[in-house]
Amino acid sequence: MNENIIKRINNFSLNSRKNILEMAYLAGSSSSHLGGALSIVEIISTLFTTQININKKKPNWIDKDRFILSKGHACLAYYAALSEVGFISKEELKTFEKDDSNLLGHPVLNKKLGIEFSNGSLGMGLSLGIGVAISLKKKKKNFNVYVVMGDGECNEGSVWEAAMAAPNFRLDNLYAIIDKNNFQQTGSNKEIMNVENLKDKWQSFGWHTSEIDGHNSEELYEYFEKSKEIKKPKALIANTIKGKGFSFSENNNNWHHAVLTKSLYEKAISEISKK
Amino acid sequence: MHKTEDYKKLFIESLSIDKKVFSEKIQYNEVPEWDSIGHMTLVSAIEEKYEINFETDDIVDFSSYKKGIEILKKYKINLQ
Amino acid sequence: MEINDRNIKVWSTIGSRATMGMAALQLAAEIDNLMVLTCDVSTSAGLDRYRKTYPEKYLDLGIAEQNMIGVAAGLASEGYNVITTTFSPFQTMRCCEQIKVNLGYMKQKVCMVGIASGLALGALGFTHCCIEDIGVLRSIPGLTVISPADSLETVKALEAATKFNGPSYIRLTGSSNNPIVYKKDYEFKIGKSITILDGDEITIFCNGATVYHCMEAAKILSAKNISCKVVNMHTIKPIDKLAIDEACKSSLIVTVEEHNIIGGLGSAVAEYKSSIKNSPKQVMLGIQDIYTKGGSYNYLLEKNRITPLKIAEDILLNRT
Repeated sequence: MNENIIKRINNFSLNSRKNILEMAYLAGSSSSHLGGALSIVEIISTLFTTQININKKKPNWIDKDRFILSKGHACLAYYAALSEVGFISKEELKTFEKDDSNLLGHPVLNKKLGIEFSNGSLGMGLSLGIGVAISLKKKKKNFNVYVVMGDGECNEGSVWEAAMAAPNFRLDNLYAIIDKNNFQQTGSNKEIMNVENLKDKWQSFGWHTSEIDGHNSEELYEYFEKSKEIKKPKALIANTIKGKGFSFSENNNNWHHAVLTKSLYEKAISEISKK
Repeated sequence: MHKTEDYKKLFIESLSIDKKVFSEKIQYNEVPEWDSIGHMTLVSAIEEKYEINFETDDIVDFSSYKKGIEILKKYKINLQ
Repeated sequence: MEINDRNIKVWSTIGSRATMGMAALQLAAEIDNLMVLTCDVSTSAGLDRYRKTYPEKYLDLGIAEQNMIGVAAGLASEGYNVITTTFSPFQTMRCCEQIKVNLGYMKQKVCMVGIASGLALGALGFTHCCIEDIGVLRSIPGLTVISPADSLETVKALEAATKFNGPSYIRLTGSSNNPIVYKKDYEFKIGKSITILDGDEITIFCNGATVYHCMEAAKILSAKNISCKVVNMHTIKPIDKLAIDEACKSSLIVTVEEHNIIGGLGSAVAEYKSSIKNSPKQVMLGIQDIYTKGGSYNYLLEKNRITPLKIAEDILLNRT
C-alpha cells in the first residue's frame, strides 16, 4: 500500500517541478524565488496528496485541514500544488507575476483558487496558524493546521512568540514544518544569522520535535501518519536542499531570486524529462 | 566598424578598473568591481555606446568579456 | 562623493537603492564611527561592496527588524553614527514600536533607509510594497521624514541625515533607470523644499519618484497654457510651511505621492493649510486608500494614476 502512495507523491513532485519551471521561465525579467520553492516540493506534495483533504468543488468548505505558507516567497511550489489538485488551471499558472494576476510573487488570499491566506512578510504565518487551530478546537473540528516556514524566517522574533504560545494552548492540531535548507536571502544561515540547533530550540519551547530528510517522500509520509496521535503541537525540521531538483540550482543561493533564462530553462526541462 | 578597443574601454571605465591590470579573461563576480552594481553600469554603458537594448536573458548570460563579444553579434555588433 | 555628470548618470542607471549602497561606501571612508545595519538585504540595498570593504562598520541582524532597531539605538547611545536599512514595510511598520520608543521617545540618532518603497515591487504583492510608511512615521514626534526625488538626491539626503543631530527616515522610491531630476549639484537642506519649475496658476507639491512625473505633467499642462509650479517637498516632516504659505497665492494646490493619500504628503500639507484663511482648494493625488492587484511598477503607476498623463488629466478635471 505504501509503495503506491509514495509513487503518487513522487509523481506529484515531478509534475510540480515542471509547473514551477514553466512559471519561473514565463516570469521573465520579473524573476522568481525559485530556490526556496524547490526545497519544499516534497513537503507540499506529501501534504496535498495524503494529508490535506481539500476539495476543489467546495472552495469555501470549512471542514478541512488548513495550509499556511508562512514562507510566502516559496509560492511557486504552492501554486504548482494547487494546480495539481485542480484549483489553479495551467492557463492561470502562466499569469504568474503578470499585471493584475491572481498569482503574485507572494500568495494573495483567493479562496476560489484555494489560496487561503495572504503571506509574504516573514514570521507571521505561525501566529495565523495558532488562531486557526484554536478556532478548530473551539468548534470541535478534528482537522489539522500545517504551517510551512523557512529556517531564515526563524530569525523573526514573532516566530518565537508563536512558538511559545502554541504549547500553552495545547494545540495538538498544529504543525510547524521548518524548511531547513540552510540559506536565506543574501547568504547561508551560518553567514548571516545562525539558527543552529533548531530541533533543540523548538523542543525546549514545548513542541514535539522531529527531524527528517525533507526530500524523502516515504519518511515524510510516515512522519505525518505516525504524528497524528501526538498530543502536543508538532515541529518538523525538514532537512532540504535549496534549489533541489536541478543541477544548476541545488545549494546555489543565487537562485534565491533570479531570472530563469531560456537556455537554463531548456537545460532544466531536459534534466527533468530523464526522471 | 566597431573596434574592440572601444569595447575594452567600456569595461575599464564602467568598472573603474586600472587599465594596466585589466585582463580580457575578466568574468562577472570574479573581480570585486564586476559585482551586480558594476554589471548594471557596464550593461548600460554598452547599450548606450552601441545604441541597443539588451534582452533580459542576454543581461543575465553576459558573464565575461568574451561572452559579451559573442552576445553583441546577436545585435549585429561585430568587434574587430 | 564626487558629483559629476558621469556619476549622476551611473546613479540613475543603477537606481536609488544601489546608489545608497555606493554612498554608504563613501561615507564610511569619511565617518570613523559609521555603522550600517541591515536585515539580510545587503545585495538588495547595494551594500555588497560596503560589507566586503568595511566589515567592521557593518552588522547583519538577519531577518529581525525589531532587533535591528534596538541594536541600532544601543550603538547610537554609545556615540556611533548609525544607518539601518531594509525593505520599507519591514523597516517602518514591522518595528514601529521600537522606532517610537528608541528613536522618537529616547531620541537616539539613527538614520533609517527604507528601500523599494511605494509600488516598485508590485509583482511581489503588497506585502512588499509600502504605501503607509510616511503616514505611520509622521505620527512619531521628533522623527524627520525625507523622500528623495532621484538618485542624486538620495546621496544628498543620506549625507545630510548622517550630519543631522536627530533620528530620520529616508524613503527610497523608483527602480533602476531612475529618471534624473537634478542634472547638476545643488544645495540640499533638510526641511527646505526646492522649486523645480516655476509657475503661477497651480502649485504641485510632490516628492520621491513622483517629482519627475510631475515635471512631465507640468509640461503637458503648459502646452495648454496652464502654468504650474512644481515643488519638490522632499522633507515631509518637518514640512516647509513657508512653501505652503507661498503656494496659497496659486489658485489650486495639488499634492502627488506614491503613497496612500491618507497620512502622507497630501495630509501633511492639508494639516498646515487648514489653518490658513481663504487658502485655495487642495487636490490630493496618489494611492486612493486601496490595495490594488499587483503587477509591474509601471503598470501600478498607471493603475494608481501616478503618471505624467494621468496627473495632468486629474489636475485638469479639478481645476475649477
